[in-house]
Amino acid sequence: MNRDNLNHPRNEEGALWSIVGYLISGLLIWGGIGYGLDQWLGTSYFLLLGMLLGAGAAIYLVWLRFGRE
Amino acid sequence: MILLAAEDEGFQPPGVADFNLPPIFGDNPYTTKPIFLAFLSVILISVFFIAASRKALIMPSKLQFAGESVYGFVRNNLGQEIIGHQFMRFVPYLFTLFTFILTNNIFGIVPFLQFPTMSRVSFPYVLALITFVVFHYVGIRHKGLLAYIKEIMFPPGVPKPIYVILTPIEISTYLLVRPLTLSLRLFANMFAGHLLLLVFFLGGDHLLQGVIGLKLVAPFAFAFGIALTFFEFIVQCLQAYIFTLLTAMFIAGALADEH
Repeated sequence: MNRDNLNHPRNEEGALWSIVGYLISGLLIWGGIGYGLDQWLGTSYFLLLGMLLGAGAAIYLVWLRFGRE
Repeated sequence: MILLAAEDEGFQPPGVADFNLPPIFGDNPYTTKPIFLAFLSVILISVFFIAASRKALIMPSKLQFAGESVYGFVRNNLGQEIIGHQFMRFVPYLFTLFTFILTNNIFGIVPFLQFPTMSRVSFPYVLALITFVVFHYVGIRHKGLLAYIKEIMFPPGVPKPIYVILTPIEISTYLLVRPLTLSLRLFANMFAGHLLLLVFFLGGDHLLQGVIGLKLVAPFAFAFGIALTFFEFIVQCLQAYIFTLLTAMFIAGALADEH
């Protein structure tokens, strides 16, 4: 991120799409790990736990990358 | 009406099959319409900008003005404002990307061409792959391989155990989700838009062949189709813009020094 002109509206537009990317990959990765655990252990709740963890971690990451100033 | 519909097998709604166009020359699979459209776009863009820049004048002609407007838009609004002081190196790529996507998108509503090249997913895939290579290469060249990887994998200011959760997300964002969303956004918009137009125009055509009551509603289908054509034009410009904007953002991110 180019911090010098982060506040420019056009840059915010792009940041918006990057945020969407983070949220998607958070859900995908940890949801995927949860799904794998479910398949392995024969349980059914790790998928949900993984997705919650992934969504939470992704929001934290968005705050780290974009929100902190 | 039901009888009539039963006789001519009813309306065949447009679908994915409408995008699998047959080869033009024999059965060579590399001679389909989207491929020729891509080549046509290259020719059109080259001719337009060569003509626009050949006799550069102080008092520009309309053609020169149009060419310079597009170039200035990409250079200033997508290059300079997003990337910052090193932007000139990337303007040729951003400019090529923007004009290529824009022209190919607009083919979707040009009479007789009427097919958006980017609704075949391989085209956006390749473009996103080029962007992917460019911004990682720029980042590695700018910061060195290890520092770049470290910056991607470990956002600063986090307690160490949290990295176990965050690092997989960062890796998948940079390596998988970014190129994938970049290409799929363009593809899906063009695909859906073309399908929408097909529904209204083919549907209107089908209504015209029905009984008198159906003939009367057909104009509404066509009118809606025309309105959607204008809407599609906006979407086509917007998608070319978003693709180039995100490419510039990714390059800017790879160049930025961590504070």
